[in-house]
Amino acid sequence: MIQLNEIKKMLMEQGYITDDSVAMSVFLSLQLNKPLLIEGPAGVGKTEIAKVMANALQTDLIRLQCYEGLDATHALYEWNYQRQLLHLKIVEHNQQPVEEKEKTIFCDSFLMKRPLLQAITHHKRPVLLIDEIDRSDEEFESFLLEVLSDWQITVPEIGTIKATNIPQVILTSNRTRELSEALRRRCLYLYIDYPDFEKEWMIVKNKVPGIDVKLAEQITGFMQELRTIKLEKTPGIAETLDWAAALSALHIDHLDITIIEQTLGVVLKDWRDTRQVQMSLSELMEKTGVHSKL
Amino acid sequence: MITRQTSLSKNIVQFCRFLRQKGFGVTIEEESLSLQALQIIDYNNNDIFRQTLKATLCHNKSQLDEFDDLFHEYWKELEKAVDAKTKECPKNKTAFQQQASYKALKKWLHGNRNKETEETATYSTQENLSKRDFSTIPEDEVDELMQTIKFIAKRLAAKKNRRYEFSSKTEMPDLRKTLRKNLRRGGELLDIIHRRPKRNRLKLILLCDVSRSMELYSAFLIQFMYAFQQVYRRMETFVFSTSLKRVTWLLKQKNFSEAMQKLGTENNGWSGGTRIGESLDVFIKEYGKKLIDSKTIVVILSDGWDTGNIDLIKTNMEFIHAKSKKLIWLNPLAGFEDYKPHVSAMKAALPFIDVFASVHNVESLKRLGRWL
Repeated sequence: MIQLNEIKKMLMEQGYITDDSVAMSVFLSLQLNKPLLIEGPAGVGKTEIAKVMANALQTDLIRLQCYEGLDATHALYEWNYQRQLLHLKIVEHNQQPVEEKEKTIFCDSFLMKRPLLQAITHHKRPVLLIDEIDRSDEEFESFLLEVLSDWQITVPEIGTIKATNIPQVILTSNRTRELSEALRRRCLYLYIDYPDFEKEWMIVKNKVPGIDVKLAEQITGFMQELRTIKLEKTPGIAETLDWAAALSALHIDHLDITIIEQTLGVVLKDWRDTRQVQMSLSELMEKTGVHSKL
Repeated sequence: MITRQTSLSKNIVQFCRFLRQKGFGVTIEEESLSLQALQIIDYNNNDIFRQTLKATLCHNKSQLDEFDDLFHEYWKELEKAVDAKTKECPKNKTAFQQQASYKALKKWLHGNRNKETEETATYSTQENLSKRDFSTIPEDEVDELMQTIKFIAKRLAAKKNRRYEFSSKTEMPDLRKTLRKNLRRGGELLDIIHRRPKRNRLKLILLCDVSRSMELYSAFLIQFMYAFQQVYRRMETFVFSTSLKRVTWLLKQKNFSEAMQKLGTENNGWSGGTRIGESLDVFIKEYGKKLIDSKTIVVILSDGWDTGNIDLIKTNMEFIHAKSKKLIWLNPLAGFEDYKPHVSAMKAALPFIDVFASVHNVESLKRLGRWL
């Protein structure tokens, strides 16, 4: 049995800086075999958890990216029609009875497994990541409920396929739509917010090797201040890391106003935000404690 | 599942009850889950104990935010009870407090409402029985309105679903069905079955306030209702003041002046008082359960000035919100710059509204079209 502090260590070894609540949720979801529903703003490392977990457990990550209109054929399985047709053409002059032919084209080798079916027929207990579940529609959500509770999928031509290993499920949501109570009840819930200064600093130092410690501190401080401004799209950790990597690649060891202005596009992805931040840049710099050379 | 009755597990059951009172939907399954979780963690550590319960019992962000305070409140209360050696459990106390605060809230709501009655003379509780003449309403603006509504209706109705449905026209072939159908001939493809993208067919329900306080906008309202009904087929229109009336078929008349004439003779409730809650109640009881589903958008056009029962508004709005796809409230007053929804009816309704916007003329309607 894995202990709580082992989970923390495991995540840490994979380069995922975490806090107590994240570790606790991951631990409980592993121990109790419960899906973990992770919500939070964009770019705070929700998807990353699943990747790290798969790595740490030394198993495969199976990913189902949700989108509006996602339906069972894209999530479960589909028959390989082209191949079925070709096969029928090949055996056309065969004297096999029709039932025989039907049987052969509806067997495993003509079945294209989509993520959910892949996950339940996998040889080793995989991590199943259902990404951005809020983008799919309600019909799919209720369909998912069925799979998540029974762990079996029925293919009319073959029969019911039962899970060989119940996968470790991670669901992520950006809260563009409220998820149903029924789905929430089946999962453990975790909310990941933007990190505090200490955590973000650690992440930057860890993820961008060779970065100047002073620069990492300045970047983190600047990002923390930036998130207090009301922006159209608040930058997440992903942006911080991109920025840190960019500045590091430019061999810069401290922030100044011209560099920030030049590289702001890495952090802000909306023109209104860019304009707003440019206007209040010197004020921001002062708050961060970064002094302009000029 | 769990048979061992320790005082800790009893406490957790009680804590779950306490959470339920605070509006957490804790089910029995989750209770047992949290107890299971305690078996695998070190619950002597207070922090870990709290986090375990938090991870198993919370289901959304607001619950996570509230949880820590409630947790401390409960265990503090419990400690007190143990010290005093009284068996008084904290839940009774909080229940009482809640009741008191509820009463205060109710009182405050009532008080607020009465005050408004004194302050404004623009609306009354009396039903206005005089017949209205709608023939003065100009028709020329209706065309422009219809253009705008056509645009909105298109956005509402013609949203392509990414699923497919059977099509009798030659479009995309549906391989799955084609293969299935032709198997009986040994796989020779003779019939090809086609499919096309499914369309989201949204239904629309328009509830329009025609009380006296809305009189200023009545010309616009009628044009709006008429144009919408003309353009959009899957739609039902109701008007309400002190009572509710279905006017769908009246507005389906092709001839505008004829429709207006009929509307004038048919409706007695124009420019009366407003009882939003009661009207909504009638609407739900008589039509709502049949008409509203998850593919229905409900639009309410009202200024929110109300003389009726506020609680009724709340429960009915909650019902509509839960059942429909979207609940849109269009308030002509919201167009004023310093408008804030202070009216008590409006306040009660706000938490259940998905889109709150101002519509009082064609311009504002165009703006709404961009929002939807």
